[in-house]
Amino acid sequence: MKKILTIASGLLLLTLAFAWWMSSRGPKPVELIPTLTGQPEYCITCHADVPDISPSHPTVTFGCVTCHGGERLALNADLAHSTMRGGANPSDLSVVEASCGGSNCHSGSEADDRNHIQRVMTSVQSTYAGAIANIRYTFGAQTDLNAHFGISAVTDDQTQTGITSLAPFDPASETNPSIQKFGEECLTCHLRAEPREGDAYARQTGCAACHSPAPPLSSGEGWGEGKIHTLTTAISYAQCNTCHNRGNYDLRSMTFVERDDHPTQRIDDYYQPIAQFTQCEYTLDCVDCHTRDEAMGDGDIHANQKSIEYVQCKTCHGTPTELPLTKTLTDPNDIAFRLAFLNPVVDLQLGDTIIVTEKGEPLWNTKVLRDGTYEMIGKATNQYFTFKPVMGSHCTQSGEDQSSSYCHECHAVERQP
Amino acid sequence: MRPSFFHHLHPPTIPAVQSRWRHTLGAGGTAILLMLILGVTGILEMFYYVPNPQEAALSVQTITYHVPFGGFVRNLHYWSAQLLLIVSAIHLLRVVFTASYGRPRRFNYLLGLGVFVLAILLDFTGYILRWDEGICYPLVTGTNLLKTIPLIGDFLFRIAVGGGEACNTALLRFYTWHIFGLTIFVLILGVWHAFRVRRDGGIAVPPPQLRTDNERISRNELVRREVLQIFVVSIVLILMSIFLPAPIAAAMTGKPIVTEEARAPWFFLWVQQMLKWGDPFLFGVLIPFAVLTLTALIPYILPEPADADIGSWFPKSNRLAQIIIIAIALIVIVLTLMMVLT
Repeated sequence: MKKILTIASGLLLLTLAFAWWMSSRGPKPVELIPTLTGQPEYCITCHADVPDISPSHPTVTFGCVTCHGGERLALNADLAHSTMRGGANPSDLSVVEASCGGSNCHSGSEADDRNHIQRVMTSVQSTYAGAIANIRYTFGAQTDLNAHFGISAVTDDQTQTGITSLAPFDPASETNPSIQKFGEECLTCHLRAEPREGDAYARQTGCAACHSPAPPLSSGEGWGEGKIHTLTTAISYAQCNTCHNRGNYDLRSMTFVERDDHPTQRIDDYYQPIAQFTQCEYTLDCVDCHTRDEAMGDGDIHANQKSIEYVQCKTCHGTPTELPLTKTLTDPNDIAFRLAFLNPVVDLQLGDTIIVTEKGEPLWNTKVLRDGTYEMIGKATNQYFTFKPVMGSHCTQSGEDQSSSYCHECHAVERQP
Repeated sequence: MRPSFFHHLHPPTIPAVQSRWRHTLGAGGTAILLMLILGVTGILEMFYYVPNPQEAALSVQTITYHVPFGGFVRNLHYWSAQLLLIVSAIHLLRVVFTASYGRPRRFNYLLGLGVFVLAILLDFTGYILRWDEGICYPLVTGTNLLKTIPLIGDFLFRIAVGGGEACNTALLRFYTWHIFGLTIFVLILGVWHAFRVRRDGGIAVPPPQLRTDNERISRNELVRREVLQIFVVSIVLILMSIFLPAPIAAAMTGKPIVTEEARAPWFFLWVQQMLKWGDPFLFGVLIPFAVLTLTALIPYILPEPADADIGSWFPKSNRLAQIIIIAIALIVIVLTLMMVLT
């Protein structure tokens, strides 16, 4: 009996030593206490290699959990990740309010121009209202072109456009087979939709669809294998292309016809063979001319893209009879300074004169030079451009007829067939 | 040599038959060991656990992942608690199958059953203390079952959980029940139970004139056997605690939500299965209570086992008791399996 007891006590000591060894084997927890929350989190125990997502969101300030959710104390991957918002993308519109919202951040602010979540939720990029209304009108499901439906329900109490709400579009409740097919095939390019398969369509949903450029299309280097941890306002045209230059809808078969090539020459590879382009349109990035309101919405529900898109050639170039609208920066709190701070490609100073749109949005990457010409810095490329106003040139186009098609008449570049 | 304190807890000699492993399965002693481990590990956990709805689950994560050996101690606590229920059930079955509950042990049978019920309640309240997404079903369903009891239901609910919703006050109530209210009762009943084992003449064997084996062993030998059992159980427990982490889930945010997949703790799965069939008072309260009452009444309403049969496995003289307890065990196991497999 004593012998058995000796062996058993030896075994007990061995298992205890084994327990000791096992608990000393795990990763050494690495603590981070973000200054914003003051609550310790241990995500960087495993994710030490993730870079700051942007200069405005340094990890030491925000930590990880503020945006991503998750169990901040857990050292087990499954548990730690179990309550993450939106999987790897907390900006997905289903969770964006919890991740990016709040009156200190990107929603609930008095000022419309800081209320980004409400703007995006109501913008045509997430409602898809124009396309839905057009298709329903075309196939007889509604008698006007007004927007009644969006991808999901949205409301706007302080509407400037007269549209106070959109009901969620439900293809299953439509009777026309073409509209049903539209529902199945054509709802892949709004901000709530997962992208189509293929590298050329690679983008996230929600804010990250535009602000987290996916490699290999972006100019920046991606982090990790196919993962990206970047938020930027320097958005290259390639990011816009993940939706806007990837094919075309065939209304007869109600399918999306994907293009099978990759654009290398921007001028030659645009998918609309009949489209015309001036030099700016294939040299600049989309965001160099198109404004925040156009891309993200202005807080009101719009019936279609046309109702929100308003920047034209004349915004920068003026007309034969008028110079472009400009503004001299006298207020240090002018939003132009904030935008230039977020993407510091220009060194904007008080007293500088910049071009503004007819709605008063600053084209903060432009400047009026002393000799009456203008300069523009590419937001994504940092390229320097100078240009002259139309006024004083040989252009004889009427100031009343200024849509881009008139400009294309003379200034479009001949494309290779 | 004068006996040490631990030796002194035992009689100088006992009949050899009383201490054979195949006679007792060591279940009662193992239960005491597990309770001691639960006490020690529980006290260690109390240094870090925060009984407050906002911090409870986070403090459990702190214990599990950040306190040195915290995860190991928590696993020991968890597995001791689960094993305690199994060992207690085996102990109860052994007592019935060896006809060991007859006079003068009838009252001690009730004491033991009381300890078993308290152990189940302790396990249940311990489950709730996690206060994470994994405990929503037992919390909501378990406490609402109390309310279904006619006349005194609301009163019992208030005693157990506190007023209003099973929410903020509930955690503090469960905490106090777990570490103090139930523990003090289990301590009193447990010590009383062990004391009565000795007072009733040790482990049940036939009276001296009916014994075939009159060999006796010293308490030194008895303690050695107990120590061996302690070592074996400890090794098993430590290995389980190393390789099988205790369940943990994300912190509960807002009110507990019961989903389709939510499960009761394993020892109440049989009740959860019955609750699918309808009336919660009948299936969730009356039937479990009837099962308990029937088990408790075995020594009182069934014929006394014959003296010669005491301590022998599956004797003829208490067949009916064996059949009843087997039927109860089978029904509980089948219902549990039905719940597990759906």
